[in-house]
Amino acid sequence: MTIQQLKKLKVDEALNANVWDVDEEPHIKVDFSKCVECDTKPCVRLCPAGCFTLLDKEVLFSYEGCVECGTCRIVCPKDAVDWNYPLSGRGVQYRFG
Amino acid sequence: MKSRFDVIVVGAGPAGSTAAYTLAKKGFDVLVVERGRSPGSKTLYGGRVYAKPLKEIYPEFEKKAPIERWVKKERMTFMAEGGSLTLEYSSKTSTSFTAYLSKLSEWMASQAEEAGAVIVTDVRVDSFLKEDGRITGVRAGQDEVRAGVVIDAEGVNRLLLERLGWVPKLEKSQVALGLKETYRLGSEKIEERLGLGKKEGMAWFMIGSATGNIPGGAFLYTYQNTVALGIVVFLHKAVEHAQQHIFEYLEELRLSPPFSNLLKDGVLVEYGAHLTPELGLKLKPPRLYGDGFLIVGDAAGLLLNLGYTVRGVDFAAYSGYLAAQAIEKAGGDYSARSLSIYEDMLEESFIMRELRRHVRVSKLMENERFFTTYPELAFALAHRLFEFEETSPTFLEAFRETTKGRVSKLRLLLDMLEVARGP
Repeated sequence: MTIQQLKKLKVDEALNANVWDVDEEPHIKVDFSKCVECDTKPCVRLCPAGCFTLLDKEVLFSYEGCVECGTCRIVCPKDAVDWNYPLSGRGVQYRFG
Repeated sequence: MKSRFDVIVVGAGPAGSTAAYTLAKKGFDVLVVERGRSPGSKTLYGGRVYAKPLKEIYPEFEKKAPIERWVKKERMTFMAEGGSLTLEYSSKTSTSFTAYLSKLSEWMASQAEEAGAVIVTDVRVDSFLKEDGRITGVRAGQDEVRAGVVIDAEGVNRLLLERLGWVPKLEKSQVALGLKETYRLGSEKIEERLGLGKKEGMAWFMIGSATGNIPGGAFLYTYQNTVALGIVVFLHKAVEHAQQHIFEYLEELRLSPPFSNLLKDGVLVEYGAHLTPELGLKLKPPRLYGDGFLIVGDAAGLLLNLGYTVRGVDFAAYSGYLAAQAIEKAGGDYSARSLSIYEDMLEESFIMRELRRHVRVSKLMENERFFTTYPELAFALAHRLFEFEETSPTFLEAFRETTKGRVSKLRLLLDMLEVARGP
């Protein structure tokens, strides 16, 4: 529960408001060898859940906060994202969608 | 569970559940396969639904459906760095309502279930079964279930249709990305702060700096106890223009004066995102029917964005309703030729009439001036008219001054003509 703050929330703080049932296995796989050759890395700015982050120019990916929108699959210029939905109803559980 | 049904529906969103409901009522043996834990748990949209098509499909819709508020106020705001200009429409009547799509989908699925459809949740369909050139069922992990005909209501990410080779991979120019924060405020504060009566709702659209000038727009919808604030950006434009993480644009909007005051003491209860088939006909597959299957809802690309309002849920539900009727008319012959009647019915319905009538709107939305120059110009003009010190300008003077350097007279005239002709 986050009362409206008068400063920008971090995306993780916003995601904390959600109900989750995180899968043990990642439902998305990223071929990081392709990220090395990617200049623009649009996933980092556009994944609305901030699943893609940069560490010393290297792309890191964590699937836990994924909201299953499919943006990364479409914006990736290197076709490095092997994208699927989680199994068995796992993942984000929208109540106010 | 049985391994054969008359009809299998993939996806328990508004399109899938409405198809299942309509078919079950006609006596078909229907299976709905949903990947979420419950119908609606994976869905997210803006916030408003147009009621008439749903009233036609579901008797007692108005009484029984989880309607939050009837939209009686509309606002359109042009946002600029220095301030904003808002147009407000108020009405005693209403043709649309706000609802959580999660709850509405759940309700539609419950209607389908009551009518006799079997709904299986927690199951992700991995592919269609294809035998002798036709779709004969679905595969989920090791399990196979067969049916006379399959309805694809998988939503905007058309993994099944892509794997089938029916549509090419989704492109960023075909979709928009929507982000939404939902705040619990309580009905009293919502009604007080927005001047709404009980059960009265507001749909509010914003363009311009609302999205940091990334072409797209922002929205606010009121539910009974919560308010949803969101942005929608054309994905290919966002790739090109986004200077920071996309969530930060939503946060900047939330922290801009009207919204930060409006949401004061609110509690964030959810944050989510979803893709939307923004430019309807661009995403529609060449054929929405094949041997043994039909395509409905977002997967069919049935969404209309007019800039000042968006329609998707009523189109989705109605396409499911038409698919069900087409299956009945096909009389057991589920060949492509026989099922093509669905596309004919869709063509004759209000859905394709609307999408075709407004086909130029997508061209309009390619014009970035509508998202940057003009919202800014609207504010600047109002600023010049309202904020004077000694000499008040005439409208013409203010207009001349504000357009100067921003846009040429001819350009402006041509763009305005474009708006007048469409959407």
